Amino acid sequence: MPLAEGATPTRSSSEAKPPGPPEAVPTRSSPIGGGIIGGVRWGRLSAAGLLIGFVVLFGLLRPNEFLTTSNFQVTTSQGVETLMLGLAFLVPLCGGAYDLSIGAVMELSLAFIAWGTIHTGLPVWLLCIVAIALCCLVGMLSGILVVRFRVNSLIATLGVSEVLAAAELLISNNTTLVGRFPTTFQNLGNSNVAGVPLVLIYLLILAVILWFALEQTPGGRSLFAVGGNPEAARLAGVRTNAVVFTSLVASAAIAGLAGVIYAMQVGTYSAGDGTGLLFPALAAVFFGASQFSGRPNVWGTVIAFMALAFGVKGLQLIYGPSSFWIDPLFQGVALVIAVSLASRQVYQTRKSRRAELEPVVSASAT
Amino acid sequence: MSDRITSALIGGKHVSSRNGTSHRGAGASQKPALEARGVSKTFDGQVVLRKVSLKVMPGEIHALVGQNGSGKSTLIKILSGFHTADDGSEASVNGRRLELGSPAAAREAGLRFVHQDLGVIGDLTVTENVLLGERYPRGFAGRIRWTEANALAKARLARLGLEIDPSARVGDLAPAARAGVAIARATSRWDTGSSVLVLDEPTAFLTGSDVATLFEIVRRISSAGQAVMIVTHHLDEVLGLSDTVTVLRDGRVVASEATDRLDSERLTRLIVGLDRACSNHTPTSTGSGRETLRVAGLRGGSVADLSLHVHAGEIVGVAGHTGSGREAVAALIGGRAEPAAGQVFVDGRPLPGGDPRVAIAAGIGWVPGERALGIFADQNVRENLTVASHRRHLVAGRISVRAERAEAQKWIDALGIVTHGSDAPIRTLSGGNQQKVLVARALRRDPGILLLDDPTVGIDVGARSQIHDVIASRASEGTAVVLVSTDTEELVRLADRVLILVRGRVTAELLRGPHLTREAIDAAQLG
Repeated sequence: MPLAEGATPTRSSSEAKPPGPPEAVPTRSSPIGGGIIGGVRWGRLSAAGLLIGFVVLFGLLRPNEFLTTSNFQVTTSQGVETLMLGLAFLVPLCGGAYDLSIGAVMELSLAFIAWGTIHTGLPVWLLCIVAIALCCLVGMLSGILVVRFRVNSLIATLGVSEVLAAAELLISNNTTLVGRFPTTFQNLGNSNVAGVPLVLIYLLILAVILWFALEQTPGGRSLFAVGGNPEAARLAGVRTNAVVFTSLVASAAIAGLAGVIYAMQVGTYSAGDGTGLLFPALAAVFFGASQFSGRPNVWGTVIAFMALAFGVKGLQLIYGPSSFWIDPLFQGVALVIAVSLASRQVYQTRKSRRAELEPVVSASAT
Repeated sequence: MSDRITSALIGGKHVSSRNGTSHRGAGASQKPALEARGVSKTFDGQVVLRKVSLKVMPGEIHALVGQNGSGKSTLIKILSGFHTADDGSEASVNGRRLELGSPAAAREAGLRFVHQDLGVIGDLTVTENVLLGERYPRGFAGRIRWTEANALAKARLARLGLEIDPSARVGDLAPAARAGVAIARATSRWDTGSSVLVLDEPTAFLTGSDVATLFEIVRRISSAGQAVMIVTHHLDEVLGLSDTVTVLRDGRVVASEATDRLDSERLTRLIVGLDRACSNHTPTSTGSGRETLRVAGLRGGSVADLSLHVHAGEIVGVAGHTGSGREAVAALIGGRAEPAAGQVFVDGRPLPGGDPRVAIAAGIGWVPGERALGIFADQNVRENLTVASHRRHLVAGRISVRAERAEAQKWIDALGIVTHGSDAPIRTLSGGNQQKVLVARALRRDPGILLLDDPTVGIDVGARSQIHDVIASRASEGTAVVLVSTDTEELVRLADRVLILVRGRVTAELLRGPHLTREAIDAAQLG
């Protein structure tokens, strides 16, 4: 859905002799989104271009370190939780709701599992299921706040996030929890199949499921409808409340899953493990939203995140091990660029909506 | 506040003419507060104002009346600087030439406008609203002296006869008090010189007692020697309040004379332009088929009491000015808003209110005229068409885009939607074609009842007539149609009956036949 395209074709009646070919419209697209590579729709592929560019660039500069299986494995598997949080954020975002609690929800899941392996004799798979169920309850709480009590989603989830932080401090007693995990469980998080990290496979499975749900099912359509124009969606017969509620529960469940994966990979809980990933995750989602269809989407998020991750990795290789500061710097710059891209589009969408209203208003005001 | 104003009565003609005559007598030698000379306006070759001239004297309440499309709004917009005027148009304020087409010049000259939406900011206090756009009394380091500012606002309101707490939030005030705040802001120049207050349909959203309060305010302003021009649709307001009336019809001034010399009948004739304008019929049912939709005693929003029934195959029109309840009819029937009282029946079964899904399931297909209520601007034609109803395209839980495209193409062909295909973003379509998509969205669920809320407002003639054809053919196939419209021509063309709403109630029902004319609909609305 070309968000970035020319501002207001709505008013120019296409019956009344369009001044140029219709293809002329998109040339007024955002100079950033559309202009990076110069072409009309290339901006939609800029993340993919960036990813390829980084691979080529750092592949030429540091072929022996960058173009290796282990670099691929490390870079992708390190980012899996962040990317999962991004996908968690993506789902309610499609419906116009912001879920900022995902970082804290991931930590809740992680803290609960780690605590459970230390203090209970329950099998770890059961702990994981209970953890995700717990996260779903948190999602329902956010959903009720947003849908039933009409609290702005940003505020509701921020509040929930803080409450969860308190719960985690209670669980962990403000210490780092080193979980006692069986080796098989740790292997699930740290081994490779045919050179591909297992966690990356989990991520791709999740991405495919979400892509299918968002892009191929009536539920996904309803979600985008609510995100685009809630009142119009309600009038068209969409169960707007149910849709938003479900999206927030799904978001919490995905964040809980990210906690499970983190438990497999790392196995310890310390405060900030999840919330620290929030900003990079959001950066990937907003950057991704400018890709492909031009609205929040799964593959845009995945590719945008990978482009950023490989960019960071390449820079770190060039500047050596002391360049630990590159990660946040690059993420910060990327976040600003991504959000400015996204907000520009939000602005254009608003503008086109307003333009749509104008003729109606002026006509009824005679 | 209303107890402050004791003598507020609608039609308090005595008050107004007493005030009016004293000033008009004095005004004979005065310069007019506002004068327009030969103001013309052409939009895309279409003349909407032809050499309009009028004079408003200081202390005069001057009513500007005319049907929708008569040019009233255009004239007001030219005076306020929103539109430019054609060459040769002139206007002056207090004898000084006014540069047309410049909002700053209009403001500088002392013209003040209060539109029907009032333009007050609900979240700010009364003082902040009254002093908006002015210099606040300042103290040390630019600090606003709030005590002084509040006193100033209070004084401004007091001279309008209003006692309102200056620190109250405007959003919490009653409608009449809100209007008072808007007027207090617009009359800031009393002290420094004469101004002209233009009230553009100020009573559209006010109820009886609020209207009386507003009239009292207007009378006070005029008795202080200020000129007031009031745009309205309501004859009782014109006759009860104004000193002079200017009637516009088809962009021309057809009369500009003292209110004393007019009565309701003559005024109606001047506005509508026919000798025998008003013809009230006794309501009888034309229904040939079964009764599909019945509405009993519906109340909510600006609708006070609405009852109607629509038979299969019948097109029932609903007309009314803004504020008459017309704009709430579709929302109440279609489940957008929950009625405060009354009941909607579909095929004899009561329909729970306030839920669009229930209404859709009962077979009501709503086409909103306000496209912001229907269009998903970020999505394409196909997605806009099929939203919330994908049963036909589902293959194993997945939407088959191929099936969806095929159906979309069918509707594009059937309604002549001009688009670069079903995958084109909806925003690339013209307003009329977007509207056709909304019509198609309603029709694809085969509704037994079509609920059209000003379906062709602001769209081009071609699309309008295509939509008309679709409505007519659906009705002939047995769909019951409710056509709420501000377009009288549309009602005349399509409707079997037209209900006229005035102040929330049905005041007349016009039946199809030689008597159902645009003029008759217009005249019936002049309550």
